[in-house]
Amino acid sequence: MMRRLIAVCWVVALCGCARAPDAPNTLRLRLDADPSTLDPARIVDVSGGEIAGKIFAGLVRVGETGEPVPELAATVAVSDDGLVYTFVLKDEARFSNGRPLTSADVRYSFERLLSPKTASPRRWVLGRIDGADDYAQGKAGSVQGIETPDENTVLLKLEKPFGPFLSLLTMPNAAIVPQEVVEAWGEDFGSHPVGAGPFLLESWQRDVRLVLRRNPHYSDGPKLDCMEYEIIPEDFAASSEFETGNLDILQLSPADIPRYNASSRLRSLVTSHVGLNTYYLGFICDRAPFDDVRLRHAVSHAIDRQKIIDSVLAGSAVVADGPVPPTILPAADERQAPGYDPKVAIRLIAEAGGAPETIGLYLSSGREELSVCEAIQEYLRKVGLDVELHMLEWSSFKDAVSRGEPDIFYLSWWADYPDPENFLFPTFHSSNWGSAGNRSRFASPEVDAAIETAVAETDAATRADGYAQVEKLVVEAAPWVFLWHRKQFVAVQPRVVGFRFFPIRSADRGVQLSLREG
Amino acid sequence: MYKYILRRVLVAIPTLLGVTIVTFVLMKSLPGNPVEAMIGERADPQVVEEIRAQLGMDRHVVVQYTGYLWLLCRGELGRSYFTNVPVARSLMQKFPNTLRLAVAAMAVAVAIGLVLGVVSAVKRDSLADRFSTIVASLGISTPVFWLGLILIIVFANWLGWLPAGGMGDGRLSFLVLPAIALGTRSAAYIARITRSAMIEVLSQDYIRTARAKGLSTLRVNLRHALRNALIPIVTLVGVDFGSYLNGAVLTETIFRWDGIGRYAMDGIAGRDYPVILGTVLFGAAVFVVVNLMVDVSYAWLDPKVRRR
Repeated sequence: MMRRLIAVCWVVALCGCARAPDAPNTLRLRLDADPSTLDPARIVDVSGGEIAGKIFAGLVRVGETGEPVPELAATVAVSDDGLVYTFVLKDEARFSNGRPLTSADVRYSFERLLSPKTASPRRWVLGRIDGADDYAQGKAGSVQGIETPDENTVLLKLEKPFGPFLSLLTMPNAAIVPQEVVEAWGEDFGSHPVGAGPFLLESWQRDVRLVLRRNPHYSDGPKLDCMEYEIIPEDFAASSEFETGNLDILQLSPADIPRYNASSRLRSLVTSHVGLNTYYLGFICDRAPFDDVRLRHAVSHAIDRQKIIDSVLAGSAVVADGPVPPTILPAADERQAPGYDPKVAIRLIAEAGGAPETIGLYLSSGREELSVCEAIQEYLRKVGLDVELHMLEWSSFKDAVSRGEPDIFYLSWWADYPDPENFLFPTFHSSNWGSAGNRSRFASPEVDAAIETAVAETDAATRADGYAQVEKLVVEAAPWVFLWHRKQFVAVQPRVVGFRFFPIRSADRGVQLSLREG
Repeated sequence: MYKYILRRVLVAIPTLLGVTIVTFVLMKSLPGNPVEAMIGERADPQVVEEIRAQLGMDRHVVVQYTGYLWLLCRGELGRSYFTNVPVARSLMQKFPNTLRLAVAAMAVAVAIGLVLGVVSAVKRDSLADRFSTIVASLGISTPVFWLGLILIIVFANWLGWLPAGGMGDGRLSFLVLPAIALGTRSAAYIARITRSAMIEVLSQDYIRTARAKGLSTLRVNLRHALRNALIPIVTLVGVDFGSYLNGAVLTETIFRWDGIGRYAMDGIAGRDYPVILGTVLFGAAVFVVVNLMVDVSYAWLDPKVRRR
């Protein structure tokens, strides 16, 4: 009996044995979460965006300097009034199944994203096109602002001039998909994606591994044959795999940094980059106590951000002077956020009529989040503000913040596309109250007008001046305490050639990467 | 016997129905909103409403529950809110992995637990007994996540003998560390239960008779004593095996094992209601089956039970 039992155990244990084929010229990478879907219309997660950036292509992509450059389009022309964008497609543009890509595919993809049947969470990406709202609400059978005069030409007409429009088109949600494949797979297209990007999906074992293979139909194609992504949620396991040579590139977690710094071999493999993100304390501005700007400034003055960066974050951030990271909008003196000055904080609290009763500071559960908020709690206690921490699991935290439950909340904002508008319009324009991005429930007609003026400007330099003006107003109004911009640390094995850091992971097409032989 | 099994299966139906009601009520009482998590950082209120309508979340909770029952009647468990993959398909893909891990862990547990327990009982109050007691106490009190990390550091990072984690396309080497991490605690309990059950059996008259007949010590201990001590051990193995088949969240997470536990955990974190309901219902069904198998095995082990 016992022998039989043991035999059964071995059979069950051994079943499915199959060794993975050795794959030369394959880059091995880590994803910290399995992509929810690879359907461009439904992607909202970073992992999904990273993979979609390899499988799909858009009319434009993010260039070396962060500016949009043509991808499927051979040329892009913008009318003088900034309302009409004309794209002429490349003759050789093809999907990975070999089928030529035409203007009809662009129309289909864009209308699919906007359609109420799709209920895409990223409908706003194309929301500026003329007639997009009517189509999304089912009032029109097609989008008025999309015209396809011939197979190779697409005209996109906007309702109003919108400077960052091309930047939005670099997002994976604006990728072009083949209608026949989408319709053949129906709801399962997200698991069987076909695009026109540099790679195609070879296999996807959910929660385990995802393999991409070079797309032979992509012009200016990649040097790698394959990219193999291991799904590794645990940072500890990921760094262990990197150190044993099973991963070629790894974005390190902050907890790994001291260990990598301590080893000369590991340290030499690491590069750091300031990411396109802003960590902040958001005030709920539409009710007491933080409807008073003096109290908001008091909290800002009470916190020594550099000290927290040095002590809690091990130096892995730079102090924020405003909402927009300096890499896409260089800092100007006039938008300096309030510095550490507890005396000013105490004076402002007195001017505001004294300290309010207990302040509820909400944070999502996490060791680092807790350490940061405990430090903030202590700084605020020193100026006479009594803070109570409420640590909630992520889903509950987001729900509570969207309902305006906290007095203050600790959160971050990461770029979807490399334009300062992404840090200003969704977060501070009054039309985006609550879950649409303006979680501080901040409303200022002056800021709204300044944002609208800036984004309507088509000249990049003039638009940057407009953004600087918006930033100045936002810093004065202080709906957030602008804490810091996190650095991102990436470890790269010596055999990898051509590594470049992309602050927006979906922007990395992977075409520049290759592997040293031997 | 067949009537007994049929009756137990019929009794399971209201049990599983009760499980769906309790899970549904608890799930709906949880704070948090799956649509918020699905939609990302820029949630257009109109789109939120459209998604809620698509998922049927705008309907009364009773209507939602009856809709789910109708789905079950059609043999479906719905689709994940996030991945849009049918829950039943995911469970079918992940269950064989969980089963492999559970069987391997239980093999480790039974092998180590029985040896330690039998040696401990036979050599009562000896050095071997004390050693076995210490090992069992350590096994019971060691948290699985800590043991898992230590195993990875020692056998994967330092010695490089075994992989740190992953499924390894079914290679056995990937199963070793998670099976040890998961099975250690059960091994310790089995050792303790085996020891006390064996000590009781060894004091029985029929054991003395067997010895008097001149049977070898090994034969007496294994054939006569251990077999009669098996009922409490089988009960324990059944309970532990049932819980392993529901997924070992920590072990699966640490070793990146693509099983039911990790799937359920992700479902709970994202408020993915179909995944939560599906995994809980599946887990309950597994428990019903395992308990039935344990009860049937009593009859096989003990003729007295069979006669009843």
